[in-house]
Amino acid sequence: MLCKLAWGNVRRAGRDYLVYLLTLTLGVTVFYAFNTISMQVDIAGIDEEGLAQVMGSMLGDLTYFLAGVMAFLMVYANNFIMKRRKKEFGLYQVLGMGRGRVATIMALETVIVSVVAFVAGIVLGVGLSQLMTFFTASLFKTQIANFHFFFSVHAFNLTLVCMLVMFVLTLLLNLRAVRRTKLIELMGAERRNESIKTRNPWIAIAIFAVGVVLVGVAYYRLLRDGFPLTATDSKLQEAMSQFGITTAMVTVGTFALFWGLSGMLIKLLQSLRSVYWRGLNMFTVRQLAAKVNTVCFSMGVIAMLLFLAITSVTCGMSIANVMNENLERYNPVDVSQTYVYYTPDTLDYYKEYVNPPEADRMVLADTTVDLYPAWHGKGKSVDNNDETGKKVNIADVAGEHVQIDSYLSYPLGGSNPSVTPSEMCKTMGEKLPKAFGGSNADAMGLFVTPASQYNKLRQMMGEEPVHIGHDQYLLTCDMGGELVDMYTKYMAGGHALTLGGHELKPATDKSDEDTAAIANSAMGSNPGTVVVADELLSQLNLQPYSSSLLVKTGDGYDRGRREH
Amino acid sequence: MQTTHMATPVLEVAHLEKVYGALGNVTRALNDVSFTVNRGEFVGIMGASGSGKSTLLNCVSTIDSATSGTIRINGQDVTRMKQAKLSQFRREELGFIFQDSNLLDTLTARENIALPLTIARTNSAEISTRVQDVAARLSISQVLDKYPYQMSGGQQQRVAAARALVTDPTMIMADEPTGALDSKSARLLLESLEALNRRLRATVLMVTHDSFAASYTSRVLFIRDGKIFTELRRGDTDRREFFDRIMEVVAMMGGEGSDAL
Repeated sequence: MLCKLAWGNVRRAGRDYLVYLLTLTLGVTVFYAFNTISMQVDIAGIDEEGLAQVMGSMLGDLTYFLAGVMAFLMVYANNFIMKRRKKEFGLYQVLGMGRGRVATIMALETVIVSVVAFVAGIVLGVGLSQLMTFFTASLFKTQIANFHFFFSVHAFNLTLVCMLVMFVLTLLLNLRAVRRTKLIELMGAERRNESIKTRNPWIAIAIFAVGVVLVGVAYYRLLRDGFPLTATDSKLQEAMSQFGITTAMVTVGTFALFWGLSGMLIKLLQSLRSVYWRGLNMFTVRQLAAKVNTVCFSMGVIAMLLFLAITSVTCGMSIANVMNENLERYNPVDVSQTYVYYTPDTLDYYKEYVNPPEADRMVLADTTVDLYPAWHGKGKSVDNNDETGKKVNIADVAGEHVQIDSYLSYPLGGSNPSVTPSEMCKTMGEKLPKAFGGSNADAMGLFVTPASQYNKLRQMMGEEPVHIGHDQYLLTCDMGGELVDMYTKYMAGGHALTLGGHELKPATDKSDEDTAAIANSAMGSNPGTVVVADELLSQLNLQPYSSSLLVKTGDGYDRGRREH
Repeated sequence: MQTTHMATPVLEVAHLEKVYGALGNVTRALNDVSFTVNRGEFVGIMGASGSGKSTLLNCVSTIDSATSGTIRINGQDVTRMKQAKLSQFRREELGFIFQDSNLLDTLTARENIALPLTIARTNSAEISTRVQDVAARLSISQVLDKYPYQMSGGQQQRVAAARALVTDPTMIMADEPTGALDSKSARLLLESLEALNRRLRATVLMVTHDSFAASYTSRVLFIRDGKIFTELRRGDTDRREFFDRIMEVVAMMGGEGSDAL
């Protein structure tokens, strides 16, 4: 019987429940679709290694946030229904229904609506996630090779758990409402507004001002400090806690702003007599006043939602843009292979900076290795991710190739680099670009590469070679923006570099970043290299750092995937 | 009337007080109110707005709680009842008719009338016959399958009355049942109540500010400023004469400076 009553209520109170149902359904849809993004990336055939990881951690955090928003929406919609139905629940009690049974009816109604919303939400979410795959693919400028229908059990489970938690939450709230309210209040519920606490306008103004100041200061701090992830490792903890404070400020500030504003606005409108006493204005203001408590809260939440939506969409788009733009530059050739050299003294140091998969490409040597013969004929897989695991002989696929050797700017056995970004900035009288923050650029210094190798790479990429004389240098870098600007400025300024006691002058006045990559990579491979004449380099007897073989595949080999 | 030879008190109210509000802003809605109602009586409670008559009914009907004093219905003190017991008590002993009929918009008239029975878990065959019976008595059989918004105000109010009567309660509480009705509908409803009271000996407690409605009762309690001002018994006089006597009291109460009724 209770079931029937609950079902009848849901069915017939459709109009009231529709709002709740739609909210819930929408919540479930978005929540599910959102949690399938990592799967969409997979379907779309985007296999950037780091990407899945980065996205995974970012999405994880956002999921919590989304769950919070969803909980708020549900509680809000639920309150709306409860308010409209207070009288009905009161009537049940007057007619002799115990509170326990009233609560049961309500729980059943919540169950019915939740189940319907969940099913509908998942169905819509599955549909939405298929569509989003195309969007994701276009965002990363890839084609979907083999699109197939997919269903994420992970996202489903996550949504289910989230939904259950929220269901229990709303249920507890509702039960508390039934338990607490007196019958007389239930019966008179329709006549009541939200409890109107007439706010002292001066306090409202003060709170409003506090809100404005908090939000203002928070934005100032944000602009000054930047995103905490760019901070150096040692300061990351502090930066994160600072960021936390800023976030708290902006949150509290937003609510304070709307709380103050809503209280102030009503007083303000009332004091503008000519406005207040015209037409239906009086009524409108009073209607607003009656809802003022929930209004300021929901305004706050809406403001923050908008903030997050706008910032995350624009951030996401620009990150995708930058990645797509740089992808060509960062990956000049079809296959590249890098060997890193170490001495017994520096092994531990390098291991920290070199990825474990590359460990077998670390070589104990005090002179560079010729990579093509070393690699040639070994049948190494050119593609770590090759699903077939097929080993490809480099000799079978190689067309044009060039080896780029990078040396450190100090002689064998030394440890003090003679060319560092800090020194260069000092010479120019400028501040070190922020992009160097937290890197080991100063400890390592710039790399040094022979001109012949650099020019061969340029030729391979269809560019004219650059003549670099015995007393000249050229700076290259493929990391864009600030760094390239800095090197260009240094050369344009005619500043000299001292390398092993030789004073060098710039060969040109511009750093060309399109031919600066020294290996295929996701984020750029060359933070700064000094290109010098081969004879000079051989005189200097520098410490070798790494060698990269850059290979263009010959005709007849499907370029397929690239290694970086 | 029947009250004299059959004086079983069904409702005993003693020293009832109800205070609203907190420090500095206290309203004494009821101040030491005591009276009894016997089985089969049709009692009206009259008073101006704010006199405390609705508060009195709310307290008696267990919707509101009294500040002090006792209310006994059928010998049970409802002011000391626990929640669970109260629900059972309302279910078995009381029937309610409100000013606005308080029907559930989502249920048909038949379902609305059946609601108290379904809450009491009566079996469905019995529900059906009892709803038919009570509907016939209140002449609403033809609207049983309509929704509240498809009925006139008078029909809605009679459906509400049917809902109150269908459980055969010890007492029917009516709060301004004619307040929202036109005079013809009001008369129909009052005649129904009177007939129920006469034929089925149902005890009715009705709050009203309408002298005409009050004239259908067998006794009227007048309340002013939270106290019982006086009471009138109809005795064997006919309704018209009783109405005139009520009007006299009303005029007298009004003449002493309170609001006109």
